[in-house]
Amino acid sequence: MMILLAVIHLGEEAYGVPISRELERHRGKDVSVGSVYAALERLESKTLVASSLGDPTPERGGKAKRYFRITKAGLRQVHETRRVLSKLWQTLPELKGERT
Amino acid sequence: MTEMKPPTIATWMLVHLVPGPRNDALAGDLLEEFRQGRGNGWYWRQVIAAIVIGVSRELRNHSTVMLFAAGWAMLAPAWLLIVGNAEEHFNLSERIWQMDWPWSTVCDIGLLLAANVLFIWAGIFLYLIPHLLAARNLRVRPLLKGILASLPVLIAIWAALVVLPKIFLESQVVDQHSVAPVSAFSSMHKAPIEIRQVSPQEQWDMRYGEKAIDPYNSPRSALTDLRTVAIVVRLPFFLTILCSLWGAALRFGNRNPGITA
Repeated sequence: MMILLAVIHLGEEAYGVPISRELERHRGKDVSVGSVYAALERLESKTLVASSLGDPTPERGGKAKRYFRITKAGLRQVHETRRVLSKLWQTLPELKGERT
Repeated sequence: MTEMKPPTIATWMLVHLVPGPRNDALAGDLLEEFRQGRGNGWYWRQVIAAIVIGVSRELRNHSTVMLFAAGWAMLAPAWLLIVGNAEEHFNLSERIWQMDWPWSTVCDIGLLLAANVLFIWAGIFLYLIPHLLAARNLRVRPLLKGILASLPVLIAIWAALVVLPKIFLESQVVDQHSVAPVSAFSSMHKAPIEIRQVSPQEQWDMRYGEKAIDPYNSPRSALTDLRTVAIVVRLPFFLTILCSLWGAALRFGNRNPGITA
């Protein structure tokens, strides 16, 4: 879910490095780029994201970037998850220690 | 200005040890981040994490194949005992060794190889056919690929097991009724009695009589034989089936296409 949101947030610039940085920024801890790719592979196999190759660049040792974008199914999934989570939050009893 | 270079060994590990042919994007990302000022420690951590994640994903994707190969290999000692019994029944060893060289050697190795290959191919068929039928796509190519791959793999593993551990295995073979292809191979040359033949009378005695029973000398009891020799016997079968089905299994078991170029 977090990766899907990061991909949406980054738009055209969603590839391994910025996605990892985005997650690091919000989570406040180191993220393994390998695990980001593993998650993206799973999402791609479920057709929630799609990928395409960019051009190879010298600063990347001649390796191409792989850009990810969210699909319609992915977008539906994000909305659905948001709806379910909001509903669950609303029905939760007041959490202990919430009021000070 | 010289470009910052990440640790060479780590880069080599990234290229060679992360499973999957499509890791270029990951390698490029790590290099890009490294050149943005990340340290060697960060690069090493990323590479090791990528290897661990990749290997565990591969193992997870092939867990069915590994379980099947292990289960099928458990039957190997029993199968070799059955082959040994048949060999004795038809007096094949004697007939083979009455032939002129090199036919005696060719037939000897050929017979053992045929028995092993038959067992392995049966396993491959048993694994693949339900998968192919379930996919409603009975394709001959992956089946043939697996079957053909099993031959060189078996020969390589078998040769390695005959040549390398022969020395330490032979010491066990002398006193035990081993059914190892390794010991079977050597024993046919040195001590033909090593492949223990169980006559019908002996089988009857073992089941119903009061004579001393060799606990591992019936096909049924060979299934649960967990001595070192029996495990070594199973190893070539396990590895051959695993190697043969590894590529084919991806087509059926893993629906994840990964990151495609």
